[in-house]
Parts: sequence; C-alpha cells; structure tokens
Amino acid sequence: MSALSPAPRRAGSSSGIRRGEAAAGWLFTAPVLIILGVFLLVPVLMALWVSFSDWTGRGSPFSSNVGFVGLDNYAAVTTGGGLAERDFGTALRNNAWYVLLVVPLQTALSLFLAVLVNRAILRGRGFFRTAFYFPSVTSSVAITVLWLFLFSSSGAINEVLSWLGVNGPNWFSDPSGVVHNLLGAVGVTSGPAMLTDHTLLGVSWWDWLAGPSVAMSAFILMAVFTTSGTFMLLFIAGLQNIGGDVQEAAMMDGANGWQRFWRVTLPQLKPVLFTVLTLGLIGTWQVFDQIYTGTQGGPGKTTLTPAYLSYSSAFLSQQWGQGAAIAFVLFVIIVALTILQRFVLRDRPVSRRRIRQYEAPGAGTPRLRRSKGGTR
Amino acid sequence: MTRHTPIRRARGWLGAAALLTTGVLALTACGSGFTDSPGEGQASGSGKLSILIGSSGDAETKAVTDAVAAWSEKSGVPAEVQTANDLPQQLSQGFAAGSPPDLFYLAPEALAGYASNGSIAAYGDDLENKSDFYPSLVDNFTIDGKFFCAPKDFSTLALIINTDLWSAAGLTDADIPTTWDQLASVAQKLTADGRVGLAFGAEYQRVGAFMAQAGGGLVTDGKATADSAANVEALTYVKTHLNDGSFAFASDVGAGWGGEALGTQKAAMVIEGNWITGAMKADYPDVKYTVAELPAGPGGKGTLQFTNCWGLAADSGNQEQARDLVQYLTSTDQQLAFSKAFGPMPSIQSAADAWSQANPDQTAFLAGAAYAQFPPNMAGAADVITDFNAQLESLKTGDPQALLKTAQSNLEAIVK
Amino acid sequence: MTATASPQATVLAEQRLDRPTHPAKHRLSRKALGWQIGLYALLIVLALVYIYPFLVQVATSFKTDAAAAADPISLTPQPFTWAAYERLFLNSDFPVWFGNSVVVTVFVTAGRVFFNSLAGYALARLQFRGRGIVFAGLIAVMAVPTVVLLIPKFLVINQLGIYDSYAGMILPLLVDAAGVFIMKNFFESIPPSVEEQARIDGAGTFRIFWSVVLPMARPALITIVILSFQGSWNELSHFVISTQSPELTTLTKGVASLASGQLSQGSQFPLKLAAAAIMTIPVAVVFFIFQRRIMNASEGAVKE
Repeated sequence: MSALSPAPRRAGSSSGIRRGEAAAGWLFTAPVLIILGVFLLVPVLMALWVSFSDWTGRGSPFSSNVGFVGLDNYAAVTTGGGLAERDFGTALRNNAWYVLLVVPLQTALSLFLAVLVNRAILRGRGFFRTAFYFPSVTSSVAITVLWLFLFSSSGAINEVLSWLGVNGPNWFSDPSGVVHNLLGAVGVTSGPAMLTDHTLLGVSWWDWLAGPSVAMSAFILMAVFTTSGTFMLLFIAGLQNIGGDVQEAAMMDGANGWQRFWRVTLPQLKPVLFTVLTLGLIGTWQVFDQIYTGTQGGPGKTTLTPAYLSYSSAFLSQQWGQGAAIAFVLFVIIVALTILQRFVLRDRPVSRRRIRQYEAPGAGTPRLRRSKGGTR
Repeated sequence: MTRHTPIRRARGWLGAAALLTTGVLALTACGSGFTDSPGEGQASGSGKLSILIGSSGDAETKAVTDAVAAWSEKSGVPAEVQTANDLPQQLSQGFAAGSPPDLFYLAPEALAGYASNGSIAAYGDDLENKSDFYPSLVDNFTIDGKFFCAPKDFSTLALIINTDLWSAAGLTDADIPTTWDQLASVAQKLTADGRVGLAFGAEYQRVGAFMAQAGGGLVTDGKATADSAANVEALTYVKTHLNDGSFAFASDVGAGWGGEALGTQKAAMVIEGNWITGAMKADYPDVKYTVAELPAGPGGKGTLQFTNCWGLAADSGNQEQARDLVQYLTSTDQQLAFSKAFGPMPSIQSAADAWSQANPDQTAFLAGAAYAQFPPNMAGAADVITDFNAQLESLKTGDPQALLKTAQSNLEAIVK
Repeated sequence: MTATASPQATVLAEQRLDRPTHPAKHRLSRKALGWQIGLYALLIVLALVYIYPFLVQVATSFKTDAAAAADPISLTPQPFTWAAYERLFLNSDFPVWFGNSVVVTVFVTAGRVFFNSLAGYALARLQFRGRGIVFAGLIAVMAVPTVVLLIPKFLVINQLGIYDSYAGMILPLLVDAAGVFIMKNFFESIPPSVEEQARIDGAGTFRIFWSVVLPMARPALITIVILSFQGSWNELSHFVISTQSPELTTLTKGVASLASGQLSQGSQFPLKLAAAAIMTIPVAVVFFIFQRRIMNASEGAVKE
C-alpha cells in the first residue's frame, strides 16, 4: 500500500476525484428518503388533514365532498361533554397510571439487576444477562397470550398466591381500581363530594385517583417484565464505563457502599438514566399491541389507552376525524413530557453553597461549572 | 478489518440481498394487481361473490358454506365465504379501503352508520318474500321508509337449565321459575359445590332482559328511558343477587360466555339465546338442558331479541347475483337447515310452524318473540351500549342509579 | 413491535467491538464470600422468575384443556398430549400465518440491510448539499411515535393501491431511520484511507461502497439483520392496518386473533400457548446464536 495522504475533501461536485459524489449521495439516500417520506411524512400530514375534516371513511379523504371542520374533532374529544370526551379522559387516566408505575419500576428494577449482574463473577454473568434479557426478545403478542394464561382466574399466579393464603383476584376481568381497593380496605368506600362532583374530561376527580385497575396492574407487571432486560443492558454498559479510581478515592475517603452508590455511581449514570427514562416515557404512552391482543380496552374500559382508543374510534366506530385528533393530542403529550424530562434532568450550574464545601478554607472560589458527581 | 476478509463470500451474500430487494420492487408492481381498484362507483364485478360472516362456531361456518356452495352450483355463480375474527373492524376497514365484501352479516346498530354514508345498498323492497318477514324485524332494518336488508334469522333470550343438576337439587318441572322471587330462590338452591345458580354475561345484551321484565328498557317509543325507576329496580335486583352469590357474571366464574359456563358446569342455569343449542351440541354434547321462558318481573314478561341481516355493499358489482343468493338463503328450507345446524329461528313467518314442529323443546324461544324488546339501533347506539356494558361490569359495587344516569345522558345525545 | 424495539432504542445498539470486562479484584474474606453467595442466590431466584413462565408455556401446550385449568403451575403434563399442536396445524390457518411471516421477514430484512447501508454510507462519507437536512429529517422522523401513524399509514397504503397485498405489508417496513444511524456510525469509524486508495485507483462511488466498504461492515450488517428480523417478525400494528384478507395474515395477527377468541371457543389455553411458543422459536433461535453480539451491541452506545 503506497503511503498517500488523503486528498482534502471538497464539498459539492467538481472535476477530479470527487466528481459525481453529490449525485451518488442523493442516489444512495433516495430509497430511504422516498420510503420514509411516503410512509412516514405523508401519513402524518394526511392524518393532520383528516383530524380537521369530517371524512366518514368512504372514498378518498381528499375528495371534494369532504369538508373542513376546524377544531371540531379536537373539541369533541376534549370538551364535547359526551361519550367521546369521557372515553378520552378514561384512556388518559389509565395510561397515566400505567406510565406512573411502569417507568419508575422498570428503571429501578433494571438498575438493580444491572448492579447485581455487574458484581457477579465473569462466568455466571453471561447466563444471567441472557435470562433477564430473553423476555425482551419475544413478541408482545406472545407474551400477552402467556400473561392471559398466567393471570387467569385459575392460573399460575393465583395458585401461588393461594399458597400464601391470599385469594387472588380474577385479574383480567377485574375493573376495580387498586387505590380504591386499598382505601376500601381501610374503610373509605366513596370519595368526598369535592372529588366526586367535579370532573376533568368527563371523569370525576375521584375516579382519576382510582389508580390502575387490577387488570391494568397485570399489564404493568408485564411491561416491567419485558423491558427490564433491555434497560439492564444499558445500565451495565454505563456501570462498566465508570472508572474504578473514583470509587477507590471515595472508599479511601471513608464512604460506605450505600453512600458510594448514591453519591458516586448514580450521578455518573445520569446519561444512561436519562436515556432509560426517555425511552420508558415514549414507550409507555404508546401501549397498543398488548391491549389489542389481550383485553381490547376492557374490563369496564379500564385498560383503554389513547393509542387503542385512536384505533378503535377510527377503525371500529368509524370516527376517523376523532381518531386522528386523539393520535395528535397523544403526540403532543409525548413531546411535552420528553421536553419536560430533559429540562428536569438537565445539568445545572453547581450552587454556591456546594462550591464552598469543596473550597480549601481561606482559598479563593474555584469556578466550577460541572454538575455534581463525577465527570461525564 | 482489512481487505483480506473473504470478500467473495460477503459479495455473494450481498448479491443475494440485492436480488431479493429487486424482487420486492417487482412485487410492488404486482401489488396493485392483487387488489381491486378502490374508490366510488361499481367495482369491476369479477363475478365472484365474497361473503363475510361473523360465525358463532364451526357449525355455523359449515352450514353457511354448504348453503352457499349449493347455490353456486345451481346458479353457476362462484362465491366464497369467509369468517371474520372481528366483524365490525373488518367491515369498517373494508369499507374505508374501498374493498368491502359483497354480502356480510350486518347488525342493526351498525346499519345506521353504514346507511348514512352510503356504504350499503337498500334492496329489501325488491325482495320477493318481503311480506313474509316478521314486521318487527323489518322495522329494525328500515330507515326513512327504506327497507335496507333482509333479516337472516332471529333469536330471543331464554332460561337454559341443566336438567341433571336441576333434578339433583330435588327440583321438578313445577319449580321452573315464573317470577323474580322464584328465580332467586331456585338459584339459591342450585348454588352449591363451587357452582353458581345463575350465570350470564356482564352486558346489556343479557342484563337487559331483567330491565324488560321490570317494564323498563333503554329506549321506549323513540325516547331515551335509561334512568327510569323500572330499570333501577331491575339492576338493583341483579346487584343484590350478584352479591349474595346466587347469580354471577360468566367471566367471574372463569367462563368466556354463558354457554361455556353451562357446558363446564360452572353454572346450573344461564341466560342465553338460540345459538347456545349449536354450541352445546358441538362442544359439550354430554350436558343435558331444557329451555324455559324467562320469569316475569314487576312489569310482566320480558326478554331481548337479536337479529342480523344480510348487508349488501353499495359498491358491489354483483348486486343482482347477491340478491338472488339472499333470497335463496332466506327461503324456508334453507332457514330451517340453518336452524338445525346452529340454532336461530327463521325470520319468515311461514316457517314458524315447521320450526316449532322440528324443535319441540325450544318453543320457549319462539314464545319470547311475542314480548321481546330489541336493543336500540340508532347511529351511535353501539358505542353507548359498549359504555353501558363497561359500567355493568362493576355492577356488584356500583350504584345502579348513577350507572343508568350516565347511560341516559349518552342516549339523549343520539336519540333524536 | 416488540416490547422494546422502538426506533429510539435501536439507535443505541451501536456497533462496538466486544468489550473486555474488568472484574474487580475481590479479596475473598469470609464476609466478602458471604456477600457473594447471597448475591448469587438472589440472582438465581430472579433468573428463575424470569425463565419459569416460558417453561410453563411450553409445558402447558402439551396439556389438555382441563389439565391446564386444573394444574397451571406444574411442568409435567399429565396426560401428555399433542392435541393442541394437532389442532393448530391441521385445523387452523397456522401454516399460512407462518409462511406469511417468513416471507415478510425475509424481504424486510434484505431490504433494510441494503438500503440502510446505502444511506448510512452516503451520510457518513459522501459530501452533497442538503446532507445536513437529510440528517436532521431522519432524527425528526424517529421522534414521531408510532401510534400517530396507525390511521394515516392505512390511508396512504389505501390511496397507493397496495392495501391488502404483500407490497403493502413489506414496502413501508423496508427502511428504518434507526438502522441508517447504526450504519452511519459504523462507517464513520472506518479509517478513510482504504477508500481513498480505491478512489485513486479509479473506482466509482458505488464500486467503492459495494466492493470495498461493505465487506468490512459485516458486524454492523449482522446487527441490522438481527434487529430487522426481530422487528418485522414481532410487528403487529402495521399488519393490522395493512391487510384484511385471511390469506395475508401473519403470525402476530393470527395469534392475536386466537387470543381474543371467538364465541364458542372458550379458554383453549394449550392451543393459544402452543401458537405463542412456536411463534417465539425463530426469534429465540436467532437470539441464542447471536446473543453475545446482540447484548454487546445494545450495551454499546449511550447516546450523549
């Protein structure tokens, strides 16, 4: 191989070696652009139009007898006062509880598993990683079928519970809210008038606080079961990225294991944590496959999610405009939450008080702009 | 990685990839050829009739397929029967895509929606046996004076009793309940050995029978009457006995529907319709049962009746042949054959006597037709009923008054 | 869609060489040994919790309906019966579903390998105006949640006339933005000297791509193959909206319809679990063969 210095790159096509590069560039990316454009970009625009129109499902949505109705569909779903609004409110409530429970649980569990597996001696590590990651590989349809069996009224879970003397509920047929059940156990069976009389999106505040239903709880467990493996891998990578010297320095300063974990390890895992939380948020707000396969929104509409509601409004009830409107509202929610999460977890300048803790007495103030914890 | 890797092997593999992708692009060209051209107007009638049914089981599928095959032979027109996994969804998607089946089962509550956007053709007035159909069934499928589609059969709800368990509890024919109190006490007697006395689905399509017996109903004379005192009484009665253990929802005893509860002996009595006969024969042939009329409530006798019609797509290019097939399928002989295979009663009055003679132990179903109510069927009714069903699932702990109030407000929005 | 294969997640499956692991040196004092044993015990219990459901699934598929309801936990079917599998293969459309899934998966995987690497190479190496826009566009596209696309993709597929056909099932899945990123990142990590050499030798751009760079990209390509296989085999919502005829039903849609059950079918769990088990086998096989690579790839990149 002759030792040639690489020719300087020049943007755009010109004569010489780089001729045709621009054409090749466009040609190479053309299939991707075309397919993504046609099947991702155009659909989004088309859905936007349908959400502002009164298309009834027959013929082309762009034909001349389809009218523009402005924000009517959005209004029907958010303020209409009828069944559509109540369904949307119910779906939002169900999904909100789902997100509230799944994201922390899956993050905590996957971190826990990662820490455990990371400490295991090399030989066992591969086996455990495989075991925990395997559920993530299977299709959501297959897992839902399995879950329907395990959590049926005479299924494995209830059998195990009966060994502990607990009479397990009829999981996927039980629409009662978990929080309401807990409150009922301590004697609170109906809410104060202030909560039951006022509604948000057609659902009373008391019902908003009902918690996930027992059926939804089964789905929550399923979500944690299937996603903890993937996130465990991300955490393991993060853990291995942390150098051992910071840990040793902390050990020499007298920090015990727990303190080391909270103040040294965890802050350094912040990027991974951020990724896991973002993916978790985005994923949990879109739960559809499991509902379609398992309960189709039942029992008592407590496993209805906005994604499934969007599908059923359009494809089952023929309310295409409302279905599209629901999808876009969901889009906005997801984007808003992602931005919010970014904001909450952003790096902040270290506070003066903290800077002073690191100062040597009498020395000047060092200008520290890094976040607490180790470097990224 | 340097150029010393076996480029040739990688190349061959990539060559295969390229070949496959060219294949896909070729499929694209063929792809459009697989589908009928979508859009308004008459689709090109290839002459083959496509029929989509929502089957209750193998017995029904076989019966319909055989009937259609027989007609095909006679008329020389090819036809294909498909069973739907989810009939409303497949119909809706088919219409939206412009490629609906020619003929399909159409439920009354779906009729209004499809009629209003022009998806189905109104052919009922052109049928030869139009005057033979029961008037109430014709009413159910008439909108603005146009008789849209031919009712294919109808069923009513009745009380199905497991005879072995009945006699084992020391009960006789004289004990068959005719009032609510009698029903409650009989159910109590039969609730034993981990089995429940009476089971039914947690839906208006079953609980509504009690509402009819109390003198109520969701829609009366074109007005929404969901929150009437009669309905409250009915739901309170059901709730009381759900809570004392003698009644149960089918799902609560681990069954998918009443028929399964009866067949697996998780319940001694169930409330179901004619279709249960076919299912019992196919899946639980060893369970013996009798059919009795449902008891009368404070408002007298009451039950629900259900029917479907043969919907005809307006875009179909085979309308004449489809109409001919419908006439064949609704003829006396054919309807009696269907009834024998999977249970429902013929929709034509001239077949009533023959049916009664052929099914002497099922006359309770036919008797119910005299006082049966139909579920509401105006546009949007399906969603209201779905919502009502969702609330009924928590009837054990819920408040019947509040439940019915919600249904009332939903109904008022759609009943004009 | 699998529970995890969101496009955003697959971006992180960047190709890296296998990570050498650095086990910390433990001085095995008695206390440390005690901790290690406790750790292992906990790990084993957790692993059992994760594995047991699948064992139960396989075992139940060999039980009778009644035995499945009466004794759900045991791993030994009594009596052992093939009835569920018989019913699955002889009395239902299961072979058709399997065939359709195979067809779709093969085409989608091949397509993604080819088109993703083409585009990834272009973005990594080729200079052309608008490159930045294309890049930004790809990122934006990945941000759109799939739920928004359910209805509109149906509309577009319908308008294009490919509804209810293999083309409608395969074409929209042929490329994915995440795969383009994986390839782009990989190509950027290859030293440019090899390509420069080939260019000086007179090779055209496509020739360089095809004969020089692509053979070097085997690790990344295998990653794409694995991810595409998993993604298309486990896909559900796309097949729901793009087909309606029973001849085009795939495994996911078919098993989902089995699960939601019909009126007189009752709770035939062995049948449903058998279908789900068979559905899982191909992905499981691919997983076990490539597991080291899959898990290292997923661990690899933490996007900062």
